[in-house]
Parts: sequence; structure tokens; C-alpha cells
Amino acid sequence: MVGLMDFVQYLPPLLRGAGLTLVICVAAGVLGSLIGVVFGTAKASPCFIARAISSLYVNFIRGVPILIILLFTYFALPLMLPALTFSRGFTAVVGLSVYSGAYMAEIVRGGIQAVPKGQSEAAEALGMHYFTRLRYVIFPQAMKIAVPPGIGFLIALVKASSLVSVIGFVDLTRAGRIVTTLNQEPLLTFLIVGALYFVISYPISLLGTWYERKLA
Amino acid sequence: MIITVEGLHKSFGKLEVLKGIDCAVAEGEVLCVIGPSGSGKSTFLRCLNFLESFKEGHVTISGHNLTGAKTNLNAVRRDVGMVFQSFNVFPHMKVIDNIMLAPMKVGKVSRADARSRGMALLEKVGLTNKADVYPSTLSGGQMQRVAIARALAMEPTVMLFDEPTSALDPETVGDVLDVMKKLAEEGMTMVVVTHEMGFAREVADRVLFMDAGLIVEEGTPAQIFESPQHARTQAFLSKLL
Repeated sequence: MVGLMDFVQYLPPLLRGAGLTLVICVAAGVLGSLIGVVFGTAKASPCFIARAISSLYVNFIRGVPILIILLFTYFALPLMLPALTFSRGFTAVVGLSVYSGAYMAEIVRGGIQAVPKGQSEAAEALGMHYFTRLRYVIFPQAMKIAVPPGIGFLIALVKASSLVSVIGFVDLTRAGRIVTTLNQEPLLTFLIVGALYFVISYPISLLGTWYERKLA
Repeated sequence: MIITVEGLHKSFGKLEVLKGIDCAVAEGEVLCVIGPSGSGKSTFLRCLNFLESFKEGHVTISGHNLTGAKTNLNAVRRDVGMVFQSFNVFPHMKVIDNIMLAPMKVGKVSRADARSRGMALLEKVGLTNKADVYPSTLSGGQMQRVAIARALAMEPTVMLFDEPTSALDPETVGDVLDVMKKLAEEGMTMVVVTHEMGFAREVADRVLFMDAGLIVEEGTPAQIFESPQHARTQAFLSKLL
């Protein structure tokens, strides 16, 4: 049994992995949220084409495991179009963003449609254009409704990000696995890995609580 | 005539709700629409600013032809204000911001002008001390007065009221009706769907009784309330008094 002091030498790679997980999760979280806002608004719009395109994207992505999205982006896309050869890190972020975008789109759409119809009617009766109504009346209220499920998804994203280890990206999970092959201490190593994942996800919950209070 | 309605028909799917409405409102006139639930009163009112679309019939309001090829609906709604039964005040904005929003974003009024216009309107409805609070702290009657001020901020030529006091408790109904009376005295053209017969009697220039998608009877308040001609009008009024 390796002593705790000896374990310290394995912390830097784990922390590096944690750092990379944090980076890809923040990047994918932000990009996914932006994609979600665009496609979610499209899906809630009166324009048929916008709704159709959005539905196509959302239904397709939500019907495929994230692992497949990542594997496909990393291994299959370059075979289809050599220009689409991405690094592991880029693939990780693109794959996670596209995945997040689909789920966030539904969360945003739900938020928009949960705003009482009377709000939109009152804004319409005042002469506001569709996008003006959306921007000043609907969206602020929709976002308040969408924040709790949105935060919930972002926390799930942190955990889903562990799958990028499969394409060889050295995130926290992969770092943990490499470290266990070196120190033969899966218990201690994965305990630390779990704790580090918690340290990354918990602040997201706190962010959600803060944001909800701010909107109230 | 600031409003003309000719042959207005409206169906929701297979259900025909308006079966041919003809009506005209002069400038400065107060028209009250009364009738049982399901008679199509609200639908009729909502057709006047095209919140409900219609395919058959002709409506001109404040110089706009609602079904005209070149008509800009947003322009129509700048001239036609609407007050709803459920107030629909914007909860995420302060009272004064509620009133300033449309003039600034739609009317391109400066923030300073919008604010002074807003404060003047709040004074008119008796709520200047509530300018910087959020609507959630207001009572129903106060929210409705804010909604009226908000609609007036666009300086409309016609005001539509869809059962403005139906969701209010009896104590606050009076405050809202007083504001509406003041508006009428100032010469605003108003079309009011209401169950407040006292208001209709006192303030209306003309009353329309609607039932089952048609105008059954119309006349001055004296004619309608004192000597209704049609059996259905009589039956409706007898249930109220």
C-alpha cells in the first residue's frame, strides 16, 4: 500500500487533467448554451423553416450517444473530408458543444413556451416586433425559467465529459486511469478523481443559485 | 367613423365564433359590449387590433385597413391600445420601465421623454409613488392601472378594454373604473367589453348586446337597459338585476 506522501507525486498529472476537463467543460458549456439559445428560439418561433431545421438538429443529436458523436467526429469525419481532421482537444470541445446545444435548445424552448401567452400578446398589442418582444419581454422571463434545468444539464455535462477519454484526450478520467497503471492504487486515485470532479461541478450549482437569486 | 366593421366572420377551426358583425364607432365615442360568456365579445374586440386574425370581413380602425395588403400591423397597434383582463404587466421590470418600454423601443422616444411621459401617466392613474417598484408588490387594481398607463404611453387614438375589471375584487374595481371614466371624459375613443353594467350605463354612448356570435341589439344605455326590445336581451339583463 503506497503511503499518502508517496501519492503526492501523482497529483500534478491529476490536477492537469482536472484543469483540462474544466477548460473543455467551460468551452462546451458556453458554446452549447449559445447554440441552445439559437436553436431553442428557432424551435419556438412562428417560422416553419426555423422550427424544422431546429427539430432536425435536436432530434438527431439527442438520438445518438455522445460517445458515438465523439468517435465519429474524431475517426470518421477525417475519412469523409480530410479537411475535417481535428486535434483531440478540438474534437472534444466540438463534440461536447454539439451535444450540449441539442439539450440546451429544448431547455430554452421550454422556457420560452412557459412564459404566459398574455405577455407576448401585451407586447404585441403595444406594437412591438417579434424580435423586440422576444428580447425585452419574453427572453428575460424565459431565461429565469430555463436556468434551473440549464444548470442541471451543465452539471451532467461535467460528468459526460469523461467520455472524451475514449478518443485519447487526457482529461481527468484518462489521467486517473494512466495514474492507476503507474501506482496500482485504483481506490485512492479514483477517490481523488471523484473529489476533483465534485470540485468542478459544485460551483456550477452555486452559480445557478446565485443567478436565480439575482433574477428574483 | 374611426372604427368600421363590415361582415366580420371568425372561426376557430370548425367553430364559428363571429357570424357576421357590422359596427361603426365615431371618434370620441365610448362603446360598451355586453353579453353572456361565449358570445364572441372578446373575440370581436381582439379582431379590432388583429390579435385574432380573420379571413372574412372588413375592419378599418384609426385609418388602417386591417386586411389591407400594405398594412403594417405594428403600426396599427401603435394607434390602438389594449388593456387585458389578466393585466399582463411585465413582471421582470419596474412599473415605470413597463410604461417606458414601448415608447422607447417602438416609438423611438428618448429615455428622458419616455420617463416624463410615464410619470405623467402614472399621475393620471394615481400611482406616482409606485413608479420604481416591481409589479409583484402591487394589488390587482394597481396592476391594471399600470397596464392602462402602459397602453396610453403609446398615445393611441383608440383604447380597447377586454373585461378590464373581471379579475379584480370589488373594492379595487372602482379605482380602475374611475380611471376609465376620466379617459372617456377626455374624449378617448373606447371599446369596452365588460360585465360592469353600472359603468356601461353611466359612461357608454352606445351599448352593444352580443349573443352567439351576433349583435342582437344595440342602442343608447337608456334604450338597452330601460327598454330592451329583444327577448334575449331582456333575459340576459333580468339575470343581472
